[in-house]
Amino acid sequence: MKARSRSLAAATVALAAAMVASGCSSSGSGANDSAAAAGSSGGVVKLDFWGWAPGYDQSVAAFNRTHPNIQVTFDKTASGSKGGYTKMLTAAKAGNAPCLAQVGYETLPSFAAAGALTDVTKFAATAQAQFAHWTWKQVTIGGQTYGIPVDTAPMALMYRKDLFAKYGITTAPVTWDEYAADAAKVHAADPSVYLGDFGNDAYNYAGLAWQAGAGWFGTSGDQWQVSVNSAGNQKVAGYWQGLLDKKLLKTDPSYDPSLYSDMAAGKVLSDVNAVWDAPIIASSVKDGAGQWAVAPMPVWDAANPVYGNDGGSATAILKGCGHAKEATEFATWMSTDADSVSNLIKVTGIYPAATSGLSNATLSAPDPFYGGQTIFDVFKAETSHINTDWQWGPTMTQTSTDLGDGLGQAGTGGTTLANMLAGVQTKTVAGMKQQGLSVSGS
Amino acid sequence: MTTALRERAAGRSKATGAARPGRRRRGRPVALFLAPFLVPFAALYLAPIGYTVYQSLFRMHRSGLGLTAPTQVFAGLSNYATALGDADFRGSLLRVLLIGLVQVPLMLLFALGLALLLDAKTTLFKRFFRLAFFLPYALPGVVGAIMWSYLVAPGLSPISAAARHLGLHLDLTSNAMLAPTIGNMLTWGWTGYNMLIIYSALQAIPAELSEAATMDGCSAFGIAWRIKVPLVRPALVLTTVFSIIGTAQLYNEPAILHNVAPNLPSTYTPIYAAYDAVNANNFNAAAAESVILALLAFVLSFGFLKLVQRKGAAL
Repeated sequence: MKARSRSLAAATVALAAAMVASGCSSSGSGANDSAAAAGSSGGVVKLDFWGWAPGYDQSVAAFNRTHPNIQVTFDKTASGSKGGYTKMLTAAKAGNAPCLAQVGYETLPSFAAAGALTDVTKFAATAQAQFAHWTWKQVTIGGQTYGIPVDTAPMALMYRKDLFAKYGITTAPVTWDEYAADAAKVHAADPSVYLGDFGNDAYNYAGLAWQAGAGWFGTSGDQWQVSVNSAGNQKVAGYWQGLLDKKLLKTDPSYDPSLYSDMAAGKVLSDVNAVWDAPIIASSVKDGAGQWAVAPMPVWDAANPVYGNDGGSATAILKGCGHAKEATEFATWMSTDADSVSNLIKVTGIYPAATSGLSNATLSAPDPFYGGQTIFDVFKAETSHINTDWQWGPTMTQTSTDLGDGLGQAGTGGTTLANMLAGVQTKTVAGMKQQGLSVSGS
Repeated sequence: MTTALRERAAGRSKATGAARPGRRRRGRPVALFLAPFLVPFAALYLAPIGYTVYQSLFRMHRSGLGLTAPTQVFAGLSNYATALGDADFRGSLLRVLLIGLVQVPLMLLFALGLALLLDAKTTLFKRFFRLAFFLPYALPGVVGAIMWSYLVAPGLSPISAAARHLGLHLDLTSNAMLAPTIGNMLTWGWTGYNMLIIYSALQAIPAELSEAATMDGCSAFGIAWRIKVPLVRPALVLTTVFSIIGTAQLYNEPAILHNVAPNLPSTYTPIYAAYDAVNANNFNAAAAESVILALLAFVLSFGFLKLVQRKGAAL
């Protein structure tokens, strides 16, 4: 029976081997500069780049073609929350991390608190003017810049236009009140059909809190503040709890095959999600192609619309990078070069953080899956109304795990969202204290 | 004089107890023969354990917002106190204990029954059945877990669909059903493996015993119960110890099931909780949790061995 642990052990060994292998070919670390010397042979700087987004490899290939002196190798990892971040942090701890890594804004403070990042303020200074001010805030912690923003992730409502019409919804809900009314309408017409899905993705939920201005983290002097359980957060939780109590939402796990099969079968009619989810739905739900459409995310106050953001990531420079200057050069190029941005919009589905990227021609291409709609216009209109105060905390991995557990429990009726928030608040504060961070809030 | 002392010291330092302080000519070849085992054993087994224990005694010290690289400071047993003070972690320990208490005896009874049936004289198609029972073990555990997670997933489960036709509402991933579902996955995957160990022990029993018992008028059931079961006792002890260790390390099944059952918490089992701590970049806490789990598995398996030895039967 001992063999039950074999697969886990094998996975660990494979991971370790992968890290050793990449360690050998990486541009080395501060800990052993012999590797760094090996990384640049004959004047060519070799950089390793870990990430998971589709399309990054094409941008890397384009960079390598145009920059013979800097050669970047892109290694695909599991997505951050599915083990990619753990791999990066473990590599950083072991002193053989790659120079470059795809790190979501939400996880950057955790990486900083783990001492896993390289301060590239002096190399990145010239790039700052090319990005929206609030995205630069996402890669700068305590006045030090650790990477280059790649994208932002405004949220919208992706929905089945034809099925909305079938159930008597002529225009997509503009406010959350309308959304709740439509959810009741659809479910009354056919109890097996739901307007939307309440998944268990912590960051999707964060986007809903972000929209409402219900922040989770803040700093005051040299103390972190945690406000996951604030009145504003309870308001958001109360709204969704109301829909859950009336069984007006499906509770498939986020991004799960069951959700896409429900969407394909016309059982789940819409999803409030980020811009990068548009191509995911398009590739996961083949039925109903051309029938989908994108509308702005429902808002709390139609007179003064404010939207949420779910995701967006940076190209971070990790600890011990012997070529931080070249790494920053590559990261800046990837986020700003017109061809690279076009590729990232087309293949990755990003919404660029670079201001020049907003006028990229690729963003005005009609999308056949969404009935020929130029979907990026919706996101473009939202960008200037995204709440820019949001700040992430240094233990987001832990917080998001606890929150995801709680959302899953709440979806199946095992707990209420109000209780879940109280629990996450307590656990987050305790976790931060255990990590040696000074924190206020209880 | 000095050589004599050195020899005596060498003799004493050998932890074999029974080893007499050998003549010096013998020491070196012995070391040479042992090296192929001892060196990898030390490097791949003792060193990681030592490193884990070492890590569990430290914690990260940060100041203020903690945006500078942290330093490692000695923490004594505070990581252990935190782990054992964490209701979720205690719950995960209790959970594997309960799953083990219910699932291990059931599975081994099942395995023993199948092995006895295979061993019975009148059984047909022995080879086919032996292979069929063993097949689930031949599948990688993760593949089995993925397969089962589709069989129990809400909305996809053919089992729930069949129950619906009978007018029953059966949700195999509800909070109450998670443990039975995982127990079922484990039983499916491991019964055949344990059956094979018991069956091998049965094969070693001389046929004369059964023949003599038959002549004395003992029924087939009597032979199984009075002769065969006592004789395969060592195999049953062995499979129980393996199962205890395996259950303590439960990870694959809940981790895979989590994908279809979002209500399964990320701290469901101790290894899951430790992995969670690694994810949260809290290596010291993960190390402490791992050590606690190792001690638990050690205490349980040795406790069981002591228990069956005290019952007097020679193992």
